[in-house]
Amino acid sequence: MFNFILGVSLQPGDFTGFTFFIGSVSMLAATVFFLVQHGQVDKKFKDSMLVAALITGIAAVHYYYMRDQWAAGLGSPTELRYIDWILTVPLMVVEFALLTGVGMRKLFWASVVMLVTGYFGESGVTGMLDAQIWGAIAGLAYFWMAYEVGCLTIFGGPSGEVGNALAKADGKIPAAGRMLQWFVLVGWSIYPLGYMLGTDGWYSGMLAGLPLNMDIVYNIGDAINKIGFGMAVWSAAK
Amino acid sequence: MIPSKDYLIPSKIFGLIVSLSIIFFDVESSYSILFFLFIMLTIGIPHGSIDHLIAFINPKTRRFQNKFYFFISYISLIFFNILLWIISPYLGLFIFLIISCYHFGETQVLGYTTTDNKFLSFILGANILLSLFLNNIFELQEILSSLSFFSSIDLSAFDKIFFLLLSISILMISIIYSDVKRKILLYAEMSIMYLIFFHTDLLISFSLFFGFSHSLPMLLMEFKEMKEKNFIKFYFKTLPFTFLSILFGIIIYYFNSDLLTTDNLILFIFIIISSLTLPHVFIMKDFIQNK
Repeated sequence: MFNFILGVSLQPGDFTGFTFFIGSVSMLAATVFFLVQHGQVDKKFKDSMLVAALITGIAAVHYYYMRDQWAAGLGSPTELRYIDWILTVPLMVVEFALLTGVGMRKLFWASVVMLVTGYFGESGVTGMLDAQIWGAIAGLAYFWMAYEVGCLTIFGGPSGEVGNALAKADGKIPAAGRMLQWFVLVGWSIYPLGYMLGTDGWYSGMLAGLPLNMDIVYNIGDAINKIGFGMAVWSAAK
Repeated sequence: MIPSKDYLIPSKIFGLIVSLSIIFFDVESSYSILFFLFIMLTIGIPHGSIDHLIAFINPKTRRFQNKFYFFISYISLIFFNILLWIISPYLGLFIFLIISCYHFGETQVLGYTTTDNKFLSFILGANILLSLFLNNIFELQEILSSLSFFSSIDLSAFDKIFFLLLSISILMISIIYSDVKRKILLYAEMSIMYLIFFHTDLLISFSLFFGFSHSLPMLLMEFKEMKEKNFIKFYFKTLPFTFLSILFGIIIYYFNSDLLTTDNLILFIFIIISSLTLPHVFIMKDFIQNK
């Protein structure tokens, strides 16, 4: 039967392709859930729920494309992943600013530096410096962000303005904030790891002998991070 | 004052559905011109074709004693603009871009903050136009290949994603330092708009933005402010000047058709659009003040 929505069908046994499909439908389901919950939560959390829906909505659209590209045998959809991350990462960090009302400026700057230098390192477009140095700058921006939102407090370490505001907030926000901090610290670590393992001139050789496909790691990690992020916000709002 | 969500949200959600449909169904670029013409004729021009009515609605900003002074001022501005383009096309283009930035930004901030900050309106409008151009820069370079400065820039080392990243970064930095009450939602809406610019060609991108983020919300706002009960009856009021605008374009084209080539046809379209835009911007500035 002619299918005008899905360009290409996945082959039986294509586990990587299946995770693209799961990524797409789970993000879509999460978008619907967050939009429905948007009408149920208190007024002060409405913007947070809307942003959570936008994050998973943007990801759902791109995972749909990524599934198509993979099924067509065009290889790993790195370009589409970057489009998705460029749009969703800043939206994820502003969830912290929405919950606390502080730190938007610092978090936006950190995400700009992380995304731009990460792109420079991976694409080599500047012709200056090498992937390691650009990656190190992107990594520093990531750790700055992690410090700002209070990830280090998980181990009793110091915290930035946003982390302090999360800890002092009312109601369920501190507990939700702790979940978000775990997502940033553990969930987001797959992206710098993927960068280091996947970029030539760094640790790209390490993956050669392992039965590990970075697409599967990204697909599962993305779904957990994005949907989990929204669920953490929802847990504060409900 | 009308609650902004009454006219802003429905038109933007409708625009999002149209945008996603175009992206998902992968509409061929050969249909772009048809889509552009359809949006311009049904929403774009009509939203500016009742300027002679809305100029008299907002009592706080009313400038004209009667319709006669209105039309004299309006038509004078159109001719002034044409003259400007004839004397110096670059100055004409520059002024058109400046007022377009301001005008698009002014309507974009509605629902997120007040329209009092003129500089903010300009910056946000400039952001939108910059993103529109950046996300279609390879196409734009082909169209403007006759301009040696633009065609000589070598962009071959850059992916299209670089320009999306650039436009999103500029947007983030602009939003950080802007005085907007609902910063995050404005950022969210504009970043999705930029995503649509990335996935669609130049004409479709412009049509979607101009139609559903600018013209349709304004058309609905005009409908509510004019206190018309029936939208169809209101829409009919837009038709006389919509047809006159089209006629204006056809007449100017007819008398210049022997001079127009493929190269300067774009210039001609710019002159027509900017001539209709210049007086409209002043009317809309007064109309949406205090909204």
